Amino acid sequence: MDCHVLVIGSGGAGVRAAIEASGYGKTILLSKTLAGKGGCTPMAEGGYNAVLREQDSCEIHYGDTMKGGSYLNDPELVRILVAEAPERMEDLLRWGAVFDVTDCCEVAQRPFGGQSFPRTCYAGDRTGHEMMVTLIERLASTDVKVISEVTVLDLVVESGRVVGALGLDGKGNIVAVRADATVLATGGGTQIYDISTNSSSGTGDGFAIGYRAGAELIDMEMVQFHPTGAVYPYDARGRLITEAVRGEGGVLKNALGERFMEKYDPVKKELSTRDVVSRAIATEILEGRGTAHGGVYLDVTHLPRQQIEERLPVMLEQFLKFGVDIREEPMEVAPTAHHIMGGLRISPHGETTLPGLYACGEVTGGVHGANRLGGNALADTQVFGKRAGESAGRAPRRDVRIGEKAIEAQEERLSLFLGGEVPPSTVVRSLRTAMWEGAGIFRTARDLEKTLGVIAHLSSLPLLARTRENLGECCTVQNMLLTATLVVRGALLRKESRGAHTRRDVVQAWDAQTSPYGHTYQSLTRSGIETVVRE
Amino acid sequence: MKVHARVFRFDPEEDEKPHYQNYVVEVNEGARVLHVLQAIHDEIDPTLAFRYCCGAGQCGSCAVRINGEPGLACMEEARDGMTVEPLDLPIKKDLVVDLQPFLATLPRICPRGEPEVPDREKVELLKPLRSCIECVCCVSVCPAMDVASFDGPTAMRQELRLALDPRDKGGDRVREAVSHGLFTCTSCQACWKVCPKDIEIPGKAIEKLRALANREGLTLPRHQEVARLVRETGRSIVRTGPTFLEDAPEVIEPDGPVKATVGFFVGCMYNGRLPQTARDAMEVLKRNGIRVIIPREQVCCGSPLIRTGQVDFLDTLKKRNIDAFVFRKIDTVLTMCAGCGSTLKNDYRTPFRVMDINEVLTKFGIEPPARLPVKATYHDPCHLLRGQGIRDQPRELITQVVELVEMPSICCGSGGGVRSGMPEVAAALAENRRKEIEKTGAEIVVSSCPFCEFHISEHTDRPVRNVTSILLEGYREKDRKKAKGTVSS
Repeated sequence: MDCHVLVIGSGGAGVRAAIEASGYGKTILLSKTLAGKGGCTPMAEGGYNAVLREQDSCEIHYGDTMKGGSYLNDPELVRILVAEAPERMEDLLRWGAVFDVTDCCEVAQRPFGGQSFPRTCYAGDRTGHEMMVTLIERLASTDVKVISEVTVLDLVVESGRVVGALGLDGKGNIVAVRADATVLATGGGTQIYDISTNSSSGTGDGFAIGYRAGAELIDMEMVQFHPTGAVYPYDARGRLITEAVRGEGGVLKNALGERFMEKYDPVKKELSTRDVVSRAIATEILEGRGTAHGGVYLDVTHLPRQQIEERLPVMLEQFLKFGVDIREEPMEVAPTAHHIMGGLRISPHGETTLPGLYACGEVTGGVHGANRLGGNALADTQVFGKRAGESAGRAPRRDVRIGEKAIEAQEERLSLFLGGEVPPSTVVRSLRTAMWEGAGIFRTARDLEKTLGVIAHLSSLPLLARTRENLGECCTVQNMLLTATLVVRGALLRKESRGAHTRRDVVQAWDAQTSPYGHTYQSLTRSGIETVVRE
Repeated sequence: MKVHARVFRFDPEEDEKPHYQNYVVEVNEGARVLHVLQAIHDEIDPTLAFRYCCGAGQCGSCAVRINGEPGLACMEEARDGMTVEPLDLPIKKDLVVDLQPFLATLPRICPRGEPEVPDREKVELLKPLRSCIECVCCVSVCPAMDVASFDGPTAMRQELRLALDPRDKGGDRVREAVSHGLFTCTSCQACWKVCPKDIEIPGKAIEKLRALANREGLTLPRHQEVARLVRETGRSIVRTGPTFLEDAPEVIEPDGPVKATVGFFVGCMYNGRLPQTARDAMEVLKRNGIRVIIPREQVCCGSPLIRTGQVDFLDTLKKRNIDAFVFRKIDTVLTMCAGCGSTLKNDYRTPFRVMDINEVLTKFGIEPPARLPVKATYHDPCHLLRGQGIRDQPRELITQVVELVEMPSICCGSGGGVRSGMPEVAAALAENRRKEIEKTGAEIVVSSCPFCEFHISEHTDRPVRNVTSILLEGYREKDRKKAKGTVSS
């Protein structure tokens, strides 16, 4: 297949990029899942941050985002995010999105963590779903060719330039797509952790694919642990309990009934930033003040029933399915791996360090620094989705073909799986446990080194695909292993505690604003940590 | 915990026909169906194909049938001994069905291009229509889609969303809905009952669209005729003979001690078309200690108007009916028409309790009838089973008098104005019903709704009887036996 722009990924960022790119030439959207059903956007519950009111300003949103990100954010990217989030919200409204509104016919906003002004727009607690439905409707009116249920194997690089990608269809046949420009919008990868909010497609494919092709990634150690994930039943562990629960007034209590956030952040309490709240909950649990299920209580029983029913319907429905009526009894929650702030280094135009390759959404780094504010990710998908799609669309046409060599190399990789020995699920289970134990909320060099050893061992195992239809699973596991490697290596490179990254073995004499460090970076050719000279 | 699961397997490229495979896996307490499928895939058979993604009930990728009922694998709790099958749609492999053709038919917005925000009232109307996750469970169970040119429940939901949204300039969405089969829906509610997001498509989308169609003059002529009748006579059917109410006493005192007093809401069909069935029911009530008050001024419940979107006369009907019972200080109103019962329970706000006759008889208990040497099958009326959640009670009564052979609960085609407005669709649905009846080998069909009874009887050669009529037959047989016994002894 041949196109001008190839977009990989069908979440909020990918679809937004494809919509934009379609104005410039033939665009193909490749999706590992049914387009629109994959990724984390349809699961995003809480909201979309945008400055919409007189009393708010982009300057304040910028300040909140930088502070929340422990000043590791790329300031230029943040400026763009806050300036363009309202415009992209207008696009969504133009295309038919149904957000909650106030009596004055304005998009309603609620407070989220780390905000100086309540600027999170929402559609109940199914905001991401509302956006996704809107985007898919819009996509249907473009000429974008959507190819669902194809797993991307790797990018094809010819003479230092990305010229398309190779994928696997459901039957295990190789699909080749040549493109003048390729946009990676594959989302995040916290499925590498035992406890995670991510959809099954959050396996870090884009980090791995981008890295293998030669792109540079930054700040991969910055993994956001969302403070409130479900703790039981066992298989529901980690399922996201939206920050909107606290935004609407939910309070956190330990097993002793103490509202412990007063201790950790007396001013913002439950609506402190996610890194702070997660560490607080983890500390309460570690110090023995957790519930029997190993969590803390998140309580909304004091709120009017109607407010819960109208503003948190998905939460209500999900908990009822598991036998808990949140109008009557508290939820039990604990931190869960949620978002990877690091990712492909991008320019303000969504260009990666690799010619021909663009990226947007969670697969990129720099926008959210060391900790992302709730509500900034959905905005990120739209702002940078549009930018990456536009840049890719403007890329010049090129006369290159995908060489036979690239396909042969993939066939070789795949044939090894058919003769392999270890089922992918076995490797995944070990990886997730190792990551949760050794590269979680609290980290030390010793644990990280040990984890790296486990990952190296797991990576050396010959993965088995029983049939060609199982080949994709093996590729996905390889991507997970590589993503985990990048996270752990990044965590070792950053010898400080900052934002979501807490190094228990490092004593530091600086805070986020005076830190001597900038981004960690990793590519096939170099790795390290940037140092910043402060006046 | 250990879970035995029977899983549907079929690879259209390899297999001639589907088969079922039994598996036993160890899963965690509280595991969902999805976790059982994952365990099978990871530990026993990696060739098992199933689709899933978010694992949290929000993407709609993983819908399957669990013990016959469509649901999301990631949300439904795994049960030992369960059967897992694909949705009743074209199968790609095993549990994976082809959703694309259905998703592709969904109408999409044509934005005007202004970033305007609908007002709050509009937003509140739109929100429930937006929570659809396009899992197409509804499509997989819709009976009308099998026999008519109908885009299906979720497409109608989307049509209404577009019709209500001021930002859409895609033309007349109501007219579009009509041309895509709006009037073929029988309001059987199967779509609503399987919807993981509990979207009440028949009431909140189909009927609303039909009401908009009414404003545009698109109501079917036969439906308009019914509305005219109701307006002029208070009844939805033409009088063809003496009616039940014309002959009925004001109060029927029971034979023995009074167990309960109810007001009887007879409904147009039992009143005008099947009065003998209503009289049978009165005898059964009389024999079982239920005192019945029958207000004569009661009128049509309005169901034929609500289902067809002709709602401007509705409030008058409601008031007249409510007043008729309130005036006599009745605290429990008994219905025996599934449609009337569902309407009084769901579309009215009544100051009294409404109970179906099956509920009343099982609640207060019945004198055991004699057993009849007859094999019967039971047709669940949609407005009783799904409209009122009444499944076990009629069975409890029927099995006391005859042998019961079950058949799948599918719509017979008589509801939602389809019988009058789209007779060929109603007939095609009845044909599907007839086939299932035939498979059971039953000699008679029992039901508990005049519309179903009337419609099915036109499409099967077996007698179709009301639950109370066969109970009464059981009593008569009992009395005959007793009389004979007395004579011979």
